[in-house]
Amino acid sequence: MQTHHQTATQSSRPVASDETIEERAALSGLYKLIARCLEEELDRETLRLLRGALREPLSAAGWTLDADFFATAEDTLLEVLAEEYTGLLVAPGCVNPHASVFETGALFREPCDRAAAAYREAGFDYRRRLSGEFPDHIGTLLGFLGHLAEAEAEALRRGDTEAAEQARQRYDRFLLEQLGPWAPGWCQRAARAALHPFYRQVLQFTEQLLWQALAEITDRRGLKELLAKNRREPQKLDYNADFRKASGL
Amino acid sequence: MSDLATRNTEGDIGRLSRRDFIKLGAAVGAAAGTLSLGSRRLMAMEQELGGDDISAVTGAQRQSVPYTCLACNIEDGGVAFVENGRIVKLEGNMDHPNTRGKLCAKGNSGFLHVYDPDRIMTPLLRTGKRGEGKWKRISYDEATSLLAKKLREVIDRAQSEGDEAILNEIVFKWGRNRTGGAVHRFMHALGSNTMINHTNICESSKKVGLEPSWGPDIESCDWANTKYIINFGSNVLETAYFMNPNAQRLVDGVVGNKAKLVSFDVRLSNTSGFADEAYFPYPGTDGVIALAMAHVIMNEGLYDAAFIRDWTNVTAEQLIAHLKPYTPEFAEQESTVPARDIRRIAREFATTKPATTFSYRGPAKHVYGAYQEAAIHMLNVITGNVEKKGGYCLPRGMDWPQPQPEPPKGKTASLLAAPPLYPLASHHVSTHVPYMIMKGEAKVSVWMHLYDNPVYTYPSSHVWAHLFKDEALLPFVVSFSPYMSETTELADLIIPDVTYLERHDPESMPSGLYPCLSIRQPVVKPLGGTQEFRQTLIDVIKKVDPDGSLGIQQYFAFNSVEDWMRAHFDAIPGLKDEGGWDLMKRKGVWPIYGQVDKTTAKLVDKNGNEVEPEYGLYKKPVPAADLEGAEVGEDGTIRKDGKAIGVRIGDQSYVGFGTPSRRIELYKQSFKDYGFNPLPVYKRLPSRDKRSDELVLTTFKVNVHTQSRTASIKYLAELYHKNPVWINPKTAAARGIADGDLIRVTSDVGHIVTRAHITEGIHPDVVAVSTACGHSAYGRLSQLKQKEAAEEWAQGGDPDITHNVWWDDKGVHPNPIIRLSVDPIGGSQGWYDTLVRVNKAEPGDHYGDVETSVEVSIKDYEQTLRLAYTGDLHRINHKEVDIDWDHLPQPALHAGGH
Repeated sequence: MQTHHQTATQSSRPVASDETIEERAALSGLYKLIARCLEEELDRETLRLLRGALREPLSAAGWTLDADFFATAEDTLLEVLAEEYTGLLVAPGCVNPHASVFETGALFREPCDRAAAAYREAGFDYRRRLSGEFPDHIGTLLGFLGHLAEAEAEALRRGDTEAAEQARQRYDRFLLEQLGPWAPGWCQRAARAALHPFYRQVLQFTEQLLWQALAEITDRRGLKELLAKNRREPQKLDYNADFRKASGL
Repeated sequence: MSDLATRNTEGDIGRLSRRDFIKLGAAVGAAAGTLSLGSRRLMAMEQELGGDDISAVTGAQRQSVPYTCLACNIEDGGVAFVENGRIVKLEGNMDHPNTRGKLCAKGNSGFLHVYDPDRIMTPLLRTGKRGEGKWKRISYDEATSLLAKKLREVIDRAQSEGDEAILNEIVFKWGRNRTGGAVHRFMHALGSNTMINHTNICESSKKVGLEPSWGPDIESCDWANTKYIINFGSNVLETAYFMNPNAQRLVDGVVGNKAKLVSFDVRLSNTSGFADEAYFPYPGTDGVIALAMAHVIMNEGLYDAAFIRDWTNVTAEQLIAHLKPYTPEFAEQESTVPARDIRRIAREFATTKPATTFSYRGPAKHVYGAYQEAAIHMLNVITGNVEKKGGYCLPRGMDWPQPQPEPPKGKTASLLAAPPLYPLASHHVSTHVPYMIMKGEAKVSVWMHLYDNPVYTYPSSHVWAHLFKDEALLPFVVSFSPYMSETTELADLIIPDVTYLERHDPESMPSGLYPCLSIRQPVVKPLGGTQEFRQTLIDVIKKVDPDGSLGIQQYFAFNSVEDWMRAHFDAIPGLKDEGGWDLMKRKGVWPIYGQVDKTTAKLVDKNGNEVEPEYGLYKKPVPAADLEGAEVGEDGTIRKDGKAIGVRIGDQSYVGFGTPSRRIELYKQSFKDYGFNPLPVYKRLPSRDKRSDELVLTTFKVNVHTQSRTASIKYLAELYHKNPVWINPKTAAARGIADGDLIRVTSDVGHIVTRAHITEGIHPDVVAVSTACGHSAYGRLSQLKQKEAAEEWAQGGDPDITHNVWWDDKGVHPNPIIRLSVDPIGGSQGWYDTLVRVNKAEPGDHYGDVETSVEVSIKDYEQTLRLAYTGDLHRINHKEVDIDWDHLPQPALHAGGH
């Protein structure tokens, strides 16, 4: 983790220009949107937002939701998406969305502590809404990035460069250490496992956003390291039980 | 070592020769052994069991929290070490008098249950077809509301139709119920008696072989102090009932006390491998061996005449006459164990004092298994080894009070819970449930299950899958499992319980000679906001009866789960004075008998003297107050208010045994009432008359797994994950089978395709397959799906599974082809009565193929009913019983609930 931190470029010091403020606010908005999509099942309000005000901007950003997404009755779609969310990210056999599971193979390990500590440092407490949720859930991690980007934008707006710099540092560090080594690759795998196009698109979009964000704060060598880490593929042993002799218990 | 060069200045030592070096070194080594030379500052980490535990990273002392294990059913005492709110290690609780600070492999790895990413962490509501795997996440509040609504519908229907029998449509089935009465409280509050245990796929015929004879359902051998042990069909060093404590004391006895161990098993288990003598009887013939030994003991006058006279309901003469046909030669003919060995072992057993037998599933899991157990039990009785130091003792447990008020039992007896055709099967016949429902004998509205996986664990398990998939037969199925088992995946609603390390239960297991209470308590907070089952029950009842108008909310008026536990423990005499529940939380167990001596491993008091268990429990005097107003019958039985409270022998009044006569009832009138032989007999099973191309299929447990629940535990799965068929070399050669060959094992129900493991360690007429493998559910590790469909399954990102799973074989489960076949007395499934044909695999066969027939299994059900006391085969098999066959009692439901 520390090696990544050291590869962060020094160009991330915030500059209080309107452009920067706008960019950080936009980034915050995107993180918050995808956090809302991944942290829990889609609710009616978010669905309406996606199908309404955000339809065009999302499409312009390359996130084109398919026709069914707009044509299906609201209640039906919410049910279908809830079922897909549960199968993809909640029920046993899912693509487990927690950093602890990705890094250690078990729930509630050190990545969970690191995430919670970062939240506390930035003034946030963690309170689960449903059982089985932990601070290192990908949705919550992304939502935290959204809060940090927002904090930076707000600090810049009020001319508090010190607070903006602190928020930016926290953002860079959190992105690089808590998400960079695994989250983009996880998104890619999760997108492959998604059965519903909405989640496939959310995850693909998230992957792109994360790589883009990481590229901004990491030099070429660091990025290469992150790419390698995110490529960590499961070993694919051939399933051929016939070849192994039964004796030698 | 070459010669040592040292400084060669005046006063210094000179060159040390190799000889001197060795001599000095050896002398120092010897001295160090006695004088503890060396640094007094350095000591091995985590050296002392039950001691402090220090974080290797921070150096901080870890919090230790006592608990009672539930990795399997032995309930060992444990201590969890917790660091930063996480369990980092489990070990034995040194205060537990029976498990003495030791856990088995399953217990040590139990914390992996807690952090398993394939654990169900939130209630799930089915959205697709049943079993399709489509779910919607809901909250505990929504889930308990839904269950309460379904239950209330049944209650309302019962009330509107004025038929309380409808309440029995609420079904609760468990595989392992260690809730200390919580499930019974819940079901009785709802008015239902349909509680279905799993005991008939476990050791129920052992229990029924013992209970009518002396009261309790199991023996507690004083292994450590015995001189002679005969083991019948138990692998006590690995798996049998009370494995950990029994295995410790068995080793104490064999190694420390030089006891002789003789073992009978169809397979070379680790217990038989440890024995002084091991025999491989034909399956289902342990009973005839025991009867032949009894024949020798009685006919050669080696019995304890006084004990038989005073403490049994038979005479020596009666036994001699009864045992006449069971000569060692007859036993050899049936069992293949040489008569000379049977005769010799019988003499040794009777003349070596003290001695004991132990038995478990080997003898009991057959049709007529209850007779076999009764025959083995009798050996201890006729030799006077009962309740002697080093002998065959009664189990010792302690009771705890239930919180008041308690709901009364349901008013209508349940057909499913206690099938009337099995009146002697006090632990009932759960295997018959799906067949009875499919035949329309009983209706189900709500089916709940806890710690239960019949779609995997039952014989002809496909029948249970068939039942659970039928939404007309089981309209609403609720699972409380924290794991997606083969049965849970067929539920409509999952309200996941926590693991055993996160919840409360009272316990008292008779796992040794020191009776004690113990507790389960959350060693860490329930992970991720999950909710323990006990709280779920409280929530459901409060929603079923929100305004108290049904009158059942009062039974769950606990402010918290801990309040419920206090109500169990705070009023127990003795414990109350020492702190009640608060003491239990600190110590995990009560009473504290002493400490474990580090050299002898015996329990000792503060002066180092051994704390001996109490023996001769049946000889305790009846309290004088109880004798007031009591009457003594002609047979010496002391009765008061219509209840037997003791027995008068000579001028003494003893409490005796838990039987109607307060003596050991080797003659069981209850058996005779239903046309069974009142004394232990041997019944030749159909498997003994098999065709030459057939083999007897047996199953066995291994030391690192339970039947079903441990397959997802990484440490254990790595240790054991495949289960080839054990087959004798001669048997294999006759079929052209080589070690590792793909084979097809075929019973009348169907076939499986698996592999052969050729070993001398099995009877030539038998094949054996272990349980615990071949899951089709229970998490991705147990299914090994990442190997089959990496793109879909390996995405979960568990590096331990994706990178460290080196094995590619999850085994093949034998249960689908095991035929339903039930002991008409004890109700046990005859696990070891299935005949199979074993051949090389056929073209097109693939490893893991399973093919079964529900129709054939239904025929098996009908066939096994013919053995029940009302069946035609019962009469044929019991011609010797002198009874009016035309006036047997009518089948009747158990009155007043269960």
